[in-house]
Amino acid sequence: MMASTRVSVAIVDDEESVRVGMRRLCNALGFAAVAYGSGLEFIDSLDAGGARPDCLLLDAHMPDMTGLEVQQNLVARSARFPTIVYTADDAPEAQARHLAAGAADYLRKPIGGDELLAAIDRALAAHALAPLMRRA
Amino acid sequence: MSRTPTGARTKSAAEPLGLAFGLLLFAPIVLLGSEVGSWLRYPEIGSAVLYPPYALLTAALVLSPRRTWIWYAIVSSVAHFIASWPNWSISWILLADAANLARALIAAVLLRRAFRGQIRLESMDAIVRFVAIAVLLAPAAAATVGALNVVLHASTDQYWRTWTEWYMSNALTGLTLLPTLVLGVPLALRWRLVHANRARLAEAGLLIASFVVSGAVALLVPIGGRWHLALLLYMPVPALIWTALRFGTGAASLGLTAVTFAAIWGADRGTGLFLGASPDENVLVLQSFVVITTLPVLCIAGVSGARHGMLRLHRALLASLHDHVAILDARGVVLEINESWRRFAEGHHTTLFHQATVGDDFVGACRTSAENGDSGAALALAGVTRVLNREVGRFEMEYDDDQSHAHGRYALSVEALEHPDGGAVVTRADITARREAQMELEEQRLELSHLARVGALGQLSGAFAHELNQPLASISNNAEAARLLLRRKPADLSEIDEILGDILAADQRAAHVIRRLQALLKRGEARLQPIDAAELANDVLELARAELITRRITATAAIAPDLPLVLADRIQLQQVLLNLILNACEAMRFTVVAERRVSLSLAADTSGNLRFSVRDCGAGIEPALIDHLFEPFVTTKAEGLGLGLSISRTIISAHGGRLWAENNEERGATVHCLLPAAPTVARTSADQQPSRPNGLYSADVLPVEAGAQ
Repeated sequence: MMASTRVSVAIVDDEESVRVGMRRLCNALGFAAVAYGSGLEFIDSLDAGGARPDCLLLDAHMPDMTGLEVQQNLVARSARFPTIVYTADDAPEAQARHLAAGAADYLRKPIGGDELLAAIDRALAAHALAPLMRRA
Repeated sequence: MSRTPTGARTKSAAEPLGLAFGLLLFAPIVLLGSEVGSWLRYPEIGSAVLYPPYALLTAALVLSPRRTWIWYAIVSSVAHFIASWPNWSISWILLADAANLARALIAAVLLRRAFRGQIRLESMDAIVRFVAIAVLLAPAAAATVGALNVVLHASTDQYWRTWTEWYMSNALTGLTLLPTLVLGVPLALRWRLVHANRARLAEAGLLIASFVVSGAVALLVPIGGRWHLALLLYMPVPALIWTALRFGTGAASLGLTAVTFAAIWGADRGTGLFLGASPDENVLVLQSFVVITTLPVLCIAGVSGARHGMLRLHRALLASLHDHVAILDARGVVLEINESWRRFAEGHHTTLFHQATVGDDFVGACRTSAENGDSGAALALAGVTRVLNREVGRFEMEYDDDQSHAHGRYALSVEALEHPDGGAVVTRADITARREAQMELEEQRLELSHLARVGALGQLSGAFAHELNQPLASISNNAEAARLLLRRKPADLSEIDEILGDILAADQRAAHVIRRLQALLKRGEARLQPIDAAELANDVLELARAELITRRITATAAIAPDLPLVLADRIQLQQVLLNLILNACEAMRFTVVAERRVSLSLAADTSGNLRFSVRDCGAGIEPALIDHLFEPFVTTKAEGLGLGLSISRTIISAHGGRLWAENNEERGATVHCLLPAAPTVARTSADQQPSRPNGLYSADVLPVEAGAQ
């Protein structure tokens, strides 16, 4: 598990029941979770100087601003945290698009607790290693 | 006369024989006729009272093909010569013959032109035409030449008197002998008389006897100048009118000819009434008497013939109808039925109301059947009574014959008779086969629309998976969280309780999605019910939500307040709306994301019906395609069968509505749908038929028999 300060996780999902479930699971897993109803809401909070999460859990399938658009927006503002995209679709080309856009992982709903934990760990580890990899 | 009927143009092998036969018959008769013409002269009078050759030649020409006319003309001329030589000079004979031929030619050509086909004198119009040609025109033309001939040969210098004598004898012939021959010969040649029934032959015999008696008494009894006995002249009139009414124009003409001959014969032997003055005047009076008698008798025969013809036509019309027809009087007694009704009534029916025939009380039969529990008869009773009482002009109903084994379905209509005495016409049609065909069609339509619906849902499978995955994801996350929370000491039971509540809610939602899917996938019977279109539209938008998100399409709905309820099958209406929305989505495949909009609008139109429209911002519909868009297998999509819109239109038509498409002024297209508002007030009158859906649901749901309560 992580150190004494809890890892913070942001969740962006337009569907309230999924959002709440996801927040509860993350909290139960020991993360400090904050949930947002849309990509715009999350980006607005970043712009307003809100806390930067250690990891973002992003729903791919949203009206107005899709998961992919949120990702692109974050890349454009050089946000420094890994993004895990999750979805109910299982279109392989969607997975490829999200990974190409810089997603750390791509998960399919429903997501089990162990699976989520492993994915976040992997994403954080990869993210922490990234500067070293670049230096090397 | 020839066997070939008038106007026949076909050349058959039997024709020369026909001509030979005709001439063989014609020659002696015309010779006899010329001789009779000579006999029918008063002493000291130049022309005949009646001149048979005119009628004989004209009838021959009218009844035989035109190319044989020359032979009849030659035979007629020879006969004329034989009758005239050596009493008259050659030049007189030639000129008189020319006048005779001209008269017959004029009459024959004009008659054939005026009466295409066989001459029938069964209307006033026909009689007027016949008289104008055969009594006025042709005799007048001949008299003009004939009188000149007489004056030229110096037997007299009184042109107009001679003209009148010529004219009157020919006019009289044209009125009596000519119609007898023209109408009688074709009949005699076809042996029509043999087929007459015994009663008719007896009546004819009685008529002939009355002619003989009345003719003899009136014209052949010496009365010795007692003028008060002039009343005797009326003696033949009843027999003539009797003939005209019962046997038609031909027989009336025959009777008139007989009376004319009797009058001439009587005058010749010094009996009858035409003796009082100079021979010239006697002849003129006799001719005038016959002409004056003839005209009204012919008119009576013509009018009566027209009436009989009309009746025959009406009977034939009634008989030709496949539907069962009965005519009722004001009390509801059956006056007349057609053949179909008779056959049906004689069939094996247990219900009295189906057995009614001429003379039966139809209303009473309906009442009796109704009292025995026949629901169809009860409805009919109510309707027939209302029409007979003039409460309504027309009544229609459909009913099942649940009393017999046939289990037929019938449509019954009762229409008030336009008649001062009242009455009604009842028409019954056996629509069993039609109903079966309709049911079969409806079955196929249901099948097809079900297939189309399954196809449309297939298109939405991704969206449905998403819809179902959402609650499943929520359940899974919440359950995992709860398990982890339970491991903590102490466990936060209030949060776990909240989590369990959310799990139940998500479960409900998943069940709802499945139920909705099931309803759309089910292949059920159409069930009409009043539908709130606004609620239905929101349902469909909810159904399409995931698909709209995936396609990045914004959907807006403008729903007017106070929409009318519509009577429809919920699932089928959902299918149409879903299909229209999916089509709109498909049409915007190549539209830039920011402009992908589907606008749904629902409102009541000016007549209170529901109008909904689905508008897209796609490329629009190709003008060449816009008229064919709703035909099966017409599609603008790369994939898909092109059945969606065709089935949608079928569904809407079956609901009594209309579906059409048009291009927007700016971009894209709009599909409009008009659906009749559900009837709100129960109708009570049968003649105010509801504007019911013309489709296949009407029988089960709408009160077709409204008004019969």
